[in-house]
Amino acid sequence: MSKVLVTGMGMISSIGATPEENRGALIRGECGITRSSTLPTRYAGVLPFGEVKVSTDHLKARLNMHGPGITRTALLALYATNEAVSDARLNASQLASFDTALVSASTVGGMCLMDELYQDIHRQSHGSPFLAAYNAASIGTCLQSAYGIKGIVNTINTACSSSANAILYGAKLIRHGLARRAIVGGVDSLSKFTINGFNSLHILSPETCRPFDAGRKGLNLGEGAAFLVLEKEEDAEGKKIYAELAGYGNANDAYHPSSLSGEGDGPYLAMKEALSNAELRIDQIDFINAHGTGTENNDEVESRAMLRLFGSPPLFASTKSNIGHTLGASGAIEAAYSVLNLTHQEVYAGLHFTRPIPQTMLRPVTEHKKIPLRHVMSNSFGFGGNCTSLIFSKA
Amino acid sequence: MDTVQLKQQLKQQIIEFLNLTSIKPEDIRDDQPLFGEDEGLGLDSIDSLELIVLLNREYGIVIRDPKEGRKVLVDINTMIDYIVKNRTK
Amino acid sequence: MLYIHLTACISPQSSFPEASLDHLQRSADNKLRVIEPLYEGLPQQALRRMAKVVRIGAGAALPLIRQAGASCLPIDGIIIGTGNAGMEQSIQFVQQIVDHAEGILSPGDFVQSTPNIVGSQISALTKNKKYNITHVHGGLAFENALLDAAMQVMEHPTHTYLLGGVDEIGTYNYNIDFLEGWYKKEALSNHQLYERGTPGSLVGEGAAMFLVNQQEQGALAGIRGVATLHADDPAPVAERLGWFLDNHLAEGEQIELFLSGENGDSRLSPFYEACEEILAAELPIARFKHMSGEYPTASAFALWLASIWPGGADLPGHMLKRGALPLPGGETSEPGIKMGRNVLIYNTYKGMQHSFMLLSRSFH
Repeated sequence: MSKVLVTGMGMISSIGATPEENRGALIRGECGITRSSTLPTRYAGVLPFGEVKVSTDHLKARLNMHGPGITRTALLALYATNEAVSDARLNASQLASFDTALVSASTVGGMCLMDELYQDIHRQSHGSPFLAAYNAASIGTCLQSAYGIKGIVNTINTACSSSANAILYGAKLIRHGLARRAIVGGVDSLSKFTINGFNSLHILSPETCRPFDAGRKGLNLGEGAAFLVLEKEEDAEGKKIYAELAGYGNANDAYHPSSLSGEGDGPYLAMKEALSNAELRIDQIDFINAHGTGTENNDEVESRAMLRLFGSPPLFASTKSNIGHTLGASGAIEAAYSVLNLTHQEVYAGLHFTRPIPQTMLRPVTEHKKIPLRHVMSNSFGFGGNCTSLIFSKA
Repeated sequence: MDTVQLKQQLKQQIIEFLNLTSIKPEDIRDDQPLFGEDEGLGLDSIDSLELIVLLNREYGIVIRDPKEGRKVLVDINTMIDYIVKNRTK
Repeated sequence: MLYIHLTACISPQSSFPEASLDHLQRSADNKLRVIEPLYEGLPQQALRRMAKVVRIGAGAALPLIRQAGASCLPIDGIIIGTGNAGMEQSIQFVQQIVDHAEGILSPGDFVQSTPNIVGSQISALTKNKKYNITHVHGGLAFENALLDAAMQVMEHPTHTYLLGGVDEIGTYNYNIDFLEGWYKKEALSNHQLYERGTPGSLVGEGAAMFLVNQQEQGALAGIRGVATLHADDPAPVAERLGWFLDNHLAEGEQIELFLSGENGDSRLSPFYEACEEILAAELPIARFKHMSGEYPTASAFALWLASIWPGGADLPGHMLKRGALPLPGGETSEPGIKMGRNVLIYNTYKGMQHSFMLLSRSFH
């Protein structure tokens, strides 16, 4: 089977609108989670959010998308995809070829338009311009039509591991010869829907989240998008190569709709399967970009699963301390951060950590360090027990 | 409303709110644990959050910390004690 | 090739394959709702929180998993395609947010609002900790799930997967597609679905589940190919069908039945006609949307029909659009055509998403 290589990246988050801007902020230990939110919710100014500091109008102007029915989620996705496609220098005929695939993910999709949706479901005569935007596939459909993709197009939803699974699916299409290249990633925008949803579960932190800290109080929601271009090795000759996607593992915790089992069977099995898929030993993983949401349940269970698999786990940290939990985008953004780890041979500090969880005593990396890295693992776990681990390797 | 009636009402509300269609109010003992598969009603952590919502909507009680909720949501007796002391409607 | 070993379907026509399809169940209020079975084996504790889409998905899947377990066939993963699972709960949660002004909200709807709820509930109920994924790309959600299963068995030749397509009619999500013009405005019964020549179809729902692996022995049917395309014009669709058949049929090999996803929407007829034009003029054509109604994963219902069809004239008469089916026993009106060997399914969702599936019913 062909090796799958990352040849392009585009991303936007609360700490930057390009991979380089994000890297700079990660090196400086910047946190994009703030209270200065202008979101249309009663929790604006009350809870902190990792909001992308670019207005919807500015995105529309920048992308020259002024038609009706365009959501902020779609704009963030288009923005990051544009960057990724141009970074990988894919030309129009490559984009329109039957062997270019597009796999995207979003958990909010058109639910960012809650008020419009509410009116549409109660209206019998005529609808808003957003009728086609509410369904789960709307972002994928929007990207498909923007680039005229003729190959395999898919949208995946496994809650908070959605975009990690989008990357996994794109890689499989290439490995099995069903595509030569795949544009893969995910997006989510902040919405009244998810804010109230996570709030109803009492897992939103009133302060900036503290992944893996004994005193953690929950997660912060964030927004953003990241898309990667994956190509088979034979086609990547002469191109800029960021990293290799060496393996993936997918497992289900089979325990509870919204929390992980005590011993973390799902996380453990996903990491273990990723190692076997990449044909690597536990001692070959140099760094883990942990799921690390900052909730009581996730961080303790993820720690237990790391201890169970690795015995003495490698260096790890959670970039959710910089940008919050970006839900459907998080797997892809964190995959891009893992690629940055490898291309620049460095790890970034997990922020706001002071004391380890007494039951597990694991400490994340708390400073920016230049170190040799060969293989980096990225974890993403979602509601419904959907756990996925990706492994990127130095090209 | 006396305590007996209040208990009956609460059991009915719990059944409706959690959609426990297979049981009747008289099937729930006052000291039966709400949580746990064997002795209890088999409710889980999402149900405990639902019961906090029930206490808010029916009795005007606000419980902000789910840990506080765990002390209240032991069985019908503990819930009734808390409702009697804290209800605002 | 991906082989189907067991299948079950909860549809507006029947709950399980034993039921006869000869008698057409009628739609009511322009909707084709599923006939739900008694869910033996679904625990009450789980049922009480299940939305209909989860109930029918798990209800169709669990008997297959149990049957597999009885013959010591482990399930190595759960791969679900769905267009709208979780949508109804999402909308109920939106309703709560509005009704209670973002106050203290019940989390049950939110927890059930993600489309992976069907696959994750099946995994929790059967303690299956293996590969688990949910494809949600609208009218191609099931086809992508099928492709995923095919890739999984290529990577793991001994594995068996649960593959399914499931969608429900929601009170509210119906309104959204209705406003967008996808359902008929005039009252219509499903037995007249193809007669009107007006825009829109009848809404439907269903859950079709399959156990698939790479073992030919004992299989009901084999899936020889699947292809998908986005296009808003019939020409590239017909062109892609030509490519699909060239790639999957051997020299001189023929299709014995074309199962068409025609749904009574006059705007979509040109797509089906363009495909019919490139197929042999005498090829029998059958339709299924008057049985299932229109929904994103209706093609999973078509695959279920094709895989349980015993061949020959046993296809219910109300399905036949054109041509004569070969008689049982292999006698055919056209000498030389083998009975019910290859079935081609073409379906379009909203005239934008298109898929072809080629199924061999008897491949020995």
